[in-house]
Amino acid sequence: MGYMRDNPGGGYGSRPPGGGGSGGGRPTGPRAGGRKRFLFRRRKYCKFCEDKARWVDYKDLRTLQSYIPERAKILPRRISGTCATHQRQLMQAIKRARNLALIPFTSD
Amino acid sequence: MIRTYETVFITLPTLTDEEEKGVVDALTSVVTDGGGVFAANDRMGRRRLAYPIKKFEDGVYTRFLYDADAGVPKELDRRLRISDKVIRHMTISMELDWAVASKEQAVRDAQARVEAEAARAAGLLTDDAARVGSLLTDPSDVPPAGARDRDRDRDEDDIDFDEQG
Repeated sequence: MGYMRDNPGGGYGSRPPGGGGSGGGRPTGPRAGGRKRFLFRRRKYCKFCEDKARWVDYKDLRTLQSYIPERAKILPRRISGTCATHQRQLMQAIKRARNLALIPFTSD
Repeated sequence: MIRTYETVFITLPTLTDEEEKGVVDALTSVVTDGGGVFAANDRMGRRRLAYPIKKFEDGVYTRFLYDADAGVPKELDRRLRISDKVIRHMTISMELDWAVASKEQAVRDAQARVEAEAARAAGLLTDDAARVGSLLTDPSDVPPAGARDRDRDRDEDDIDFDEQG
Protein backbone atom coordinates (compact mmCIF):
# COMPACT_ATOMS: atom_id res chain seq x y z
CA MET A 1 0.00 0.00 0.00
CA GLY A 2 1.13 3.49 -0.77
CA TYR A 3 0.54 4.72 2.75
CA MET A 4 3.30 2.71 4.27
CA ARG A 5 6.80 3.96 4.59
CA ASP A 6 9.98 2.59 5.91
CA ASN A 7 11.25 4.20 9.02
CA PRO A 8 14.64 5.31 7.74
CA GLY A 9 15.73 7.09 10.88
CA GLY A 10 14.88 4.18 13.12
CA GLY A 11 13.59 4.96 16.60
CA TYR A 12 9.86 5.58 16.45
CA GLY A 13 8.87 9.18 16.85
CA SER A 14 12.40 10.25 17.57
CA ARG A 15 12.20 13.05 15.06
CA PRO A 16 9.85 15.99 15.50
CA PRO A 17 7.14 16.20 12.82
CA GLY A 18 8.09 18.30 9.84
CA GLY A 19 11.76 18.11 10.59
CA GLY A 20 14.40 16.27 8.68
CA GLY A 21 15.66 17.96 5.57
CA SER A 22 14.13 19.93 2.76
CA GLY A 23 10.86 18.69 1.37
CA GLY A 24 10.13 16.69 4.49
CA GLY A 25 11.42 13.54 2.86
CA ARG A 26 14.05 11.13 4.01
CA PRO A 27 16.69 12.53 6.28
CA THR A 28 20.00 13.27 4.71
CA GLY A 29 23.19 13.52 6.63
CA PRO A 30 26.02 11.50 8.03
CA ARG A 31 23.66 8.87 9.43
CA ALA A 32 21.63 8.47 6.26
CA GLY A 33 22.86 4.89 6.07
CA GLY A 34 19.82 3.93 8.16
CA ARG A 35 18.54 1.77 5.37
CA LYS A 36 21.48 -0.48 5.67
CA ARG A 37 21.38 -0.60 9.44
CA PHE A 38 17.76 -1.61 9.56
CA LEU A 39 17.80 -3.84 6.57
CA PHE A 40 16.19 -6.62 8.51
CA ARG A 41 13.51 -4.59 10.23
CA ARG A 42 10.18 -6.04 9.16
CA ARG A 43 8.25 -3.82 6.85
CA LYS A 44 5.10 -2.48 8.48
CA TYR A 45 1.76 -3.16 6.86
CA CYS A 46 -1.88 -2.66 7.61
CA LYS A 47 -3.24 -5.80 9.25
CA PHE A 48 -6.80 -4.78 8.42
CA CYS A 49 -6.01 -4.44 4.73
CA GLU A 50 -4.45 -7.88 4.83
CA ASP A 51 -7.76 -9.27 6.12
CA LYS A 52 -9.68 -7.09 3.63
CA ALA A 53 -11.64 -5.70 6.57
CA ARG A 54 -14.35 -3.21 5.62
CA TRP A 55 -15.13 -2.20 9.18
CA VAL A 56 -13.68 -2.55 12.65
CA ASP A 57 -16.06 -3.96 15.22
CA TYR A 58 -16.05 -2.24 18.59
CA LYS A 59 -17.11 -5.49 20.26
CA ASP A 60 -14.11 -7.38 18.94
CA LEU A 61 -11.88 -6.85 21.96
CA ARG A 62 -9.25 -9.29 20.87
CA THR A 63 -8.44 -7.11 17.88
CA LEU A 64 -8.72 -3.81 19.73
CA GLN A 65 -6.46 -4.95 22.56
CA SER A 66 -3.48 -5.10 20.22
CA TYR A 67 -3.92 -1.39 19.40
CA ILE A 68 -4.08 -0.08 22.95
CA PRO A 69 -0.71 -0.22 24.66
CA GLU A 70 -0.18 0.02 28.38
CA ARG A 71 -1.55 3.50 28.99
CA ALA A 72 -4.62 2.48 27.00
CA LYS A 73 -4.00 5.15 24.40
CA ILE A 74 -4.66 4.54 20.73
CA LEU A 75 -1.54 3.23 19.01
CA PRO A 76 -0.48 5.77 16.36
CA ARG A 77 -0.29 4.50 12.86
CA ARG A 78 3.31 5.53 12.46
CA ILE A 79 4.00 2.62 14.79
CA SER A 80 1.35 0.09 13.84
CA GLY A 81 1.53 0.76 10.11
CA THR A 82 -2.27 0.76 9.83
CA CYS A 83 -3.54 2.57 6.74
CA ALA A 84 -5.43 5.84 7.08
CA THR A 85 -8.85 4.36 6.36
CA HIS A 86 -8.51 1.59 8.87
CA GLN A 87 -6.86 3.76 11.49
CA ARG A 88 -9.93 6.00 11.32
CA GLN A 89 -12.26 3.02 11.71
CA LEU A 90 -10.10 1.66 14.49
CA MET A 91 -10.20 4.98 16.33
CA GLN A 92 -13.99 5.02 16.05
CA ALA A 93 -14.21 1.45 17.35
CA ILE A 94 -11.90 2.11 20.29
CA LYS A 95 -13.86 5.19 21.30
CA ARG A 96 -17.11 3.28 21.13
CA ALA A 97 -15.68 0.44 23.19
CA ARG A 98 -14.45 2.95 25.76
CA ASN A 99 -17.91 4.42 26.12
CA LEU A 100 -19.31 0.99 26.85
CA ALA A 101 -16.59 0.31 29.44
CA LEU A 102 -15.26 -2.56 27.35
CA ILE A 103 -11.79 -1.04 27.39
CA PRO A 104 -10.44 1.68 29.69
CA PHE A 105 -10.02 5.33 28.79
CA THR A 106 -6.78 5.23 30.68
CA SER A 107 -5.04 2.93 33.08
CA ASP A 108 -3.72 4.87 36.07
CA MET B 1 -36.08 5.27 5.84
CA ILE B 2 -35.34 1.87 7.29
CA ARG B 3 -31.85 1.49 8.67
CA THR B 4 -30.09 -1.09 10.75
CA TYR B 5 -29.27 -0.05 14.27
CA GLU B 6 -27.36 -1.73 17.01
CA THR B 7 -28.06 -0.81 20.59
CA VAL B 8 -25.96 -2.06 23.45
CA PHE B 9 -26.91 -1.25 27.02
CA ILE B 10 -25.58 -2.17 30.43
CA THR B 11 -28.00 -3.01 33.21
CA LEU B 12 -27.27 -3.10 36.92
CA PRO B 13 -25.50 -6.24 38.12
CA THR B 14 -27.72 -6.28 41.22
CA LEU B 15 -30.96 -6.97 39.37
CA THR B 16 -32.66 -10.31 39.79
CA ASP B 17 -33.32 -12.34 36.68
CA GLU B 18 -36.99 -11.32 36.66
CA GLU B 19 -36.20 -7.63 37.02
CA GLU B 20 -33.65 -7.81 34.23
CA LYS B 21 -36.10 -9.65 32.01
CA GLY B 22 -38.70 -6.98 32.75
CA VAL B 23 -36.35 -4.20 31.67
CA VAL B 24 -35.28 -5.99 28.51
CA ASP B 25 -38.83 -6.96 27.57
CA ALA B 26 -40.05 -3.40 28.01
CA LEU B 27 -37.29 -2.16 25.70
CA THR B 28 -37.91 -4.96 23.24
CA SER B 29 -41.53 -3.92 22.96
CA VAL B 30 -40.46 -0.33 22.26
CA VAL B 31 -38.69 -1.58 19.15
CA THR B 32 -41.41 -3.95 17.99
CA ASP B 33 -44.21 -1.45 18.67
CA GLY B 34 -42.35 1.12 16.60
CA GLY B 35 -42.33 -1.26 13.65
CA GLY B 36 -38.79 -2.49 14.19
CA VAL B 37 -37.71 -5.98 13.24
CA PHE B 38 -35.18 -7.78 15.40
CA ALA B 39 -32.21 -9.54 13.90
CA ALA B 40 -30.69 -10.26 17.29
CA ASN B 41 -31.67 -9.78 20.90
CA ASP B 42 -28.71 -11.12 22.81
CA ARG B 43 -27.81 -11.18 26.42
CA MET B 44 -24.07 -10.77 26.05
CA GLY B 45 -23.64 -11.63 29.69
CA ARG B 46 -22.20 -10.23 32.83
CA ARG B 47 -18.84 -8.63 32.44
CA ARG B 48 -16.39 -6.67 34.48
CA LEU B 49 -16.42 -2.98 33.50
CA ALA B 50 -13.16 -1.40 32.41
CA TYR B 51 -13.84 1.44 34.83
CA PRO B 52 -16.50 1.89 37.49
CA ILE B 53 -19.80 3.42 36.36
CA LYS B 54 -21.99 4.77 39.14
CA LYS B 55 -19.79 2.87 41.58
CA PHE B 56 -20.56 -0.45 39.92
CA GLU B 57 -17.66 -2.63 38.87
CA ASP B 58 -19.75 -5.14 36.90
CA GLY B 59 -22.54 -4.85 34.40
CA VAL B 60 -24.85 -7.02 32.36
CA TYR B 61 -24.57 -6.33 28.64
CA THR B 62 -27.51 -6.71 26.30
CA ARG B 63 -27.45 -6.12 22.58
CA PHE B 64 -30.27 -5.33 20.17
CA LEU B 65 -29.75 -5.55 16.44
CA TYR B 66 -32.78 -4.36 14.50
CA ASP B 67 -34.10 -2.70 11.36
CA ALA B 68 -36.26 0.32 12.03
CA ASP B 69 -37.11 3.90 11.19
CA ALA B 70 -35.15 6.66 12.85
CA GLY B 71 -37.90 7.27 15.40
CA VAL B 72 -37.32 3.92 17.09
CA PRO B 73 -33.75 4.43 18.29
CA LYS B 74 -34.76 7.90 19.36
CA GLU B 75 -37.55 6.59 21.56
CA LEU B 76 -35.35 3.76 22.79
CA ASP B 77 -32.65 6.24 23.73
CA ARG B 78 -35.19 8.29 25.67
CA ARG B 79 -36.38 5.25 27.62
CA LEU B 80 -32.83 4.06 28.28
CA ARG B 81 -31.85 7.44 29.63
CA ILE B 82 -34.81 7.57 31.98
CA SER B 83 -34.41 4.04 33.31
CA ASP B 84 -32.40 3.87 36.51
CA LYS B 85 -31.69 0.18 35.94
CA VAL B 86 -29.61 0.95 32.86
CA ILE B 87 -26.23 2.46 33.63
CA ARG B 88 -24.88 2.94 30.11
CA HIS B 89 -26.19 2.61 26.58
CA MET B 90 -25.12 3.29 23.03
CA THR B 91 -26.85 3.06 19.66
CA ILE B 92 -25.03 3.03 16.39
CA SER B 93 -26.38 3.11 12.88
CA MET B 94 -24.67 0.39 10.89
CA GLU B 95 -23.39 0.72 7.38
CA LEU B 96 -25.01 -1.61 4.93
CA ASP B 97 -22.34 -4.24 4.44
CA TRP B 98 -21.53 -4.37 8.14
CA ALA B 99 -25.24 -4.70 8.93
CA VAL B 100 -25.64 -7.58 6.50
CA ALA B 101 -22.62 -9.38 7.92
CA SER B 102 -23.81 -8.81 11.48
CA LYS B 103 -27.20 -10.24 10.72
CA GLU B 104 -25.67 -13.31 9.13
CA GLN B 105 -23.45 -13.68 12.17
CA ALA B 106 -26.48 -13.32 14.43
CA VAL B 107 -28.21 -16.15 12.61
CA ARG B 108 -25.12 -18.33 12.94
CA ASP B 109 -24.81 -17.47 16.63
CA ALA B 110 -28.42 -18.35 17.24
CA GLN B 111 -27.94 -21.64 15.47
CA ALA B 112 -24.79 -22.42 17.42
CA ARG B 113 -26.61 -21.62 20.63
CA VAL B 114 -29.49 -23.93 19.78
CA GLU B 115 -27.09 -26.71 18.91
CA ALA B 116 -25.05 -26.16 22.05
CA GLU B 117 -28.23 -26.17 24.11
CA ALA B 118 -29.32 -29.41 22.51
CA ALA B 119 -25.92 -30.96 23.07
CA ARG B 120 -25.89 -29.89 26.69
CA ALA B 121 -29.36 -31.30 27.15
CA ALA B 122 -28.03 -34.57 25.82
CA GLY B 123 -25.22 -34.33 28.34
CA LEU B 124 -22.46 -34.27 25.76
CA LEU B 125 -20.96 -30.88 26.52
CA THR B 126 -19.88 -29.06 29.60
CA ASP B 127 -21.01 -25.51 30.27
CA ASP B 128 -17.72 -24.09 29.02
CA ALA B 129 -17.96 -25.67 25.62
CA ALA B 130 -21.53 -24.44 25.24
CA ARG B 131 -20.38 -20.84 25.38
CA VAL B 132 -19.07 -20.99 21.81
CA GLY B 133 -21.29 -18.35 20.24
CA SER B 134 -20.67 -15.79 22.95
CA LEU B 135 -20.05 -12.32 21.60
CA LEU B 136 -17.72 -11.08 24.24
CA THR B 137 -14.60 -12.81 25.19
CA ASP B 138 -14.52 -14.15 28.70
CA PRO B 139 -13.50 -11.35 31.10
CA SER B 140 -10.72 -13.48 32.48
CA ASP B 141 -9.26 -13.71 28.97
CA VAL B 142 -8.68 -9.99 28.73
CA PRO B 143 -5.82 -8.81 30.89
CA PRO B 144 -5.82 -5.18 31.99
CA ALA B 145 -3.86 -3.39 29.29
CA GLY B 146 -0.17 -3.69 30.01
CA ALA B 147 -0.59 -3.91 33.77
CA ARG B 148 2.35 -6.22 34.20
CA ASP B 149 4.71 -4.14 32.05
CA ARG B 150 3.97 -1.00 33.99
CA ASP B 151 4.77 -2.64 37.31
CA ARG B 152 8.03 -3.92 35.96
CA ASP B 153 9.01 -0.46 34.74
CA ARG B 154 8.30 1.04 38.08
CA ASP B 155 10.50 -1.50 39.82
CA GLU B 156 13.39 -0.73 37.54
CA ASP B 157 12.99 2.96 38.17
CA ASP B 158 13.18 2.39 41.88
CA ILE B 159 16.44 0.53 41.58
CA ASP B 160 18.02 3.30 39.48
CA PHE B 161 16.96 5.87 41.98
CA ASP B 162 18.54 3.97 44.86
CA GLU B 163 21.80 3.58 43.02
CA GLN B 164 22.02 7.28 42.30
CA GLY B 165 21.29 8.18 45.92
